[in-house]
Amino acid sequence: MTTPRLEARHASKTYGATTVLHDAHLTVQPGEIHALVGQNGCGKSTLVKILTGYHAPDKGMELAVDGQPLSLPVQWRSAQAAGLAVVHQDLGLIGHLTVSENIGVGNFIRNRFTGKINWKRQAAAARETLERLQLDIDPLATVESLPAAHRAAVGIARALRGVVPGEGLLLLDEATRSLPRSELAHVHDLIRRVAASGTSVLMVSHSLEEVLTLTDKVTVLRDGRVVGDGVETKNLTEADLARLMLGKSVDAINRDKSGSSYGGVAASITGLQMGGHEPFDLDIREGEVVGITGLPGTGFEQLPYYLGGGRRSAGLVKTRRGQVDLSKTTVDAQMKIGISLVPERRIDEGLAVELSIRDNLALPNIGRKGKPWFVARNWQDSLADESIERFGIKTRGSHDLVRELSGGNQQKVLFAKWLSTDPDLLILHEPTQAVDVGARADLLSAICTTAAAGTGVLLISTEPTDLVETCDRVIVIHPGRKPIELRTDNPDDVLAAVYSAAESVPTPATVS
Amino acid sequence: MSDPSTATHLVEDLPAAPRGSEASDNPTAPKKPTSGRELPAWLRVGMARYALIAVWVLMAAYYWLRVPDLFGTHATFSSIFGSQQVQVFLAMSVLVTSVAGEIDLSVASVMGITATAIPVLATQHHMPLLLACIVGVALAAVAGLINAFFVVIMNVSSFVVTLGMATLLMGVSQAISHTQVVSVQSAALNKISVQPVLGMPVSFYYGILLALVIAYVIAWTPLGRAVVFVGSNPEVARLAGIRVNRIRFGSYVVGSLLAGLAGLILVATVGGFDSSTSMTFLLPALAAVFLGTAVIQPGTFNAIGTMVAIYFLETGIFGLQLLGYSGWIQNVFYGAGLVVAVALAKVIRDRSTKAA
Repeated sequence: MTTPRLEARHASKTYGATTVLHDAHLTVQPGEIHALVGQNGCGKSTLVKILTGYHAPDKGMELAVDGQPLSLPVQWRSAQAAGLAVVHQDLGLIGHLTVSENIGVGNFIRNRFTGKINWKRQAAAARETLERLQLDIDPLATVESLPAAHRAAVGIARALRGVVPGEGLLLLDEATRSLPRSELAHVHDLIRRVAASGTSVLMVSHSLEEVLTLTDKVTVLRDGRVVGDGVETKNLTEADLARLMLGKSVDAINRDKSGSSYGGVAASITGLQMGGHEPFDLDIREGEVVGITGLPGTGFEQLPYYLGGGRRSAGLVKTRRGQVDLSKTTVDAQMKIGISLVPERRIDEGLAVELSIRDNLALPNIGRKGKPWFVARNWQDSLADESIERFGIKTRGSHDLVRELSGGNQQKVLFAKWLSTDPDLLILHEPTQAVDVGARADLLSAICTTAAAGTGVLLISTEPTDLVETCDRVIVIHPGRKPIELRTDNPDDVLAAVYSAAESVPTPATVS
Repeated sequence: MSDPSTATHLVEDLPAAPRGSEASDNPTAPKKPTSGRELPAWLRVGMARYALIAVWVLMAAYYWLRVPDLFGTHATFSSIFGSQQVQVFLAMSVLVTSVAGEIDLSVASVMGITATAIPVLATQHHMPLLLACIVGVALAAVAGLINAFFVVIMNVSSFVVTLGMATLLMGVSQAISHTQVVSVQSAALNKISVQPVLGMPVSFYYGILLALVIAYVIAWTPLGRAVVFVGSNPEVARLAGIRVNRIRFGSYVVGSLLAGLAGLILVATVGGFDSSTSMTFLLPALAAVFLGTAVIQPGTFNAIGTMVAIYFLETGIFGLQLLGYSGWIQNVFYGAGLVVAVALAKVIRDRSTKAA
């Protein structure tokens, strides 16, 4: 038995009366890629924060790196000296500075006497770090000019700067989360190279697919306890993993896609201009879920903002309640004709996290349900209670701050907030981004229920599985080509259409 | 290829171990601190909400015991509660911009320009007093418009704009007053502020009414809810159909208008103004607004909390003065009060999980 690279034992964390982490164990062997998974609120971020010294654990925890015990609470400097390196989900890079500066920050090579940074040697050191990881990135390029995969690579390179090759442990805290699918493979290759050198990798991820294809072992947390302690991933399926995380099995969403339940046209879009694309026409029927996807970065991500009134474009949108010219619309005007947008980034665009669930839910309705001199509280309270009940939002009450909720529950609040406006057309932008499997299933089935009640739903997403599970038809958009319309249950068909469109190969799929 | 037996085995087996260890832990540590430390929810919420009021009561009790014949009198009561109207209006002015997520450092100077302009116009330019008052308050609103233009439309840092405006207006006040104390004698003007009603000057009730109106607007009207969301997350507000820039713009204008009314009350109460003193009004107003976030609705800017804070600070200073500390104590108390208040409010906000 070799000495494990990282061994954490009896890790617990208690806040007042609630225990969020209960006697957790985590063992990572040298050169291993180890995943840490669990639903939101299962305690995995608490464990990570204990390892990075952000939280102090309860008494009784033991932590050792390469057999050498570390004192607790973790002092990040000594953990770093022992070989721990961390990359957070936002990567912590400064966009307008160069790769070299971003890699050097905190540990610049300076002149011993004047304290001036030796830029030449700093760039050389950065180049060396990048070469060690076999990365072909110019150290003098600004980070914002790099593609997403290279940005993630720079983040990893910075973390590994001080780590002796073949030793240490790289902790990736959802660092791959915001990467577009097309670039994920590059980063996975890099992670494999890092592990092949002997450095261990511990990664927190929400993507079960990523866990199964990339990692060797997985530790699963549920409700603050370890329920799967370093399980080999090669014999697991996504369903096994989901069952471990949830403690029950999740059913795939099954919708009746026969189209028998459609009503009239809920919304029709004509001549919508997206940069570089042909004018776009689309009718969405009542009760229909239409998916829209494409290659990330080609402009289809702007569609929800154009339709929601957040940004202007050219084109017309018509619903039963009226018609709006998209070149001079506002969010308010779109809401008036019954179009609501559930935006993508819930923290930046979706919810005011410092305010309560009730206040957030009531926001889109205060103008409509309130009088200019008085907004009653009754309907706000009942709306909040109904939403919590209906979507199964895990909270102690409607007065809790949104900040206190886990990501999946925040997403449910966001969904409920916009559904409460009773729209004709509900637009959802990446609704399952960074939510766990349980919340994902809840959200997707809520989408289906919404459609069944007669609302038209437009789902803009880059998740092929979400699209095929919920949508009646999926439209793949690519600049300079006619949109491709798919009716399929196989996510691979969607991926094939997205990438074949990119390669400009005509597809035999049903073209509208 | 899946191996369900592995998975099931792990699910059922592993939680048992921690449960066992929990049981063996319990006898050795029978009373974990959780049970002793944990207070009932209502008490914790109450403590967070009303801690400042409790400190206020304790402070008053202390002064009462130390100097009973000075502190425990009706005169003291009316000095504390009847002297803060200008502060109330100015603090409400700061509050209005703060709720919308903005900062306006020029309110004291805006108040100063109104308080200077009214006597100057009425005496040196022989303008009818009513017109002078209207022009004075209108000047304040214009200052707010200019602030709003640069901050909201031109997108310049609000610190730079409002600090610049503060200094500029101070210069203008000094110019039109020739750096002298200006005054206006008018019984009618005096009356709108100091006319006693139920033992207190009438302007005391203006302050209470203003705070109640602002508290109501923030909590119970669409406008107020919109302002709160703009202050909390402008992008969320925008995507909910709120005209964010209009609200930011309005907050500067209304804030300056309230500062102008503070100037009007100041002139009406005192009868004159020394423009060089205007900046000394800024810090107490900021201190009150920030200290107000530690009470009633902890973690949020709130009008009633601000009122409590104003009278809390005044009680503290008044008592210290009765104990024989001279004028310098005011600056020490307000300065320390501001820092402690902001720190306290931050601690409370970080710890609070519910909206008040």
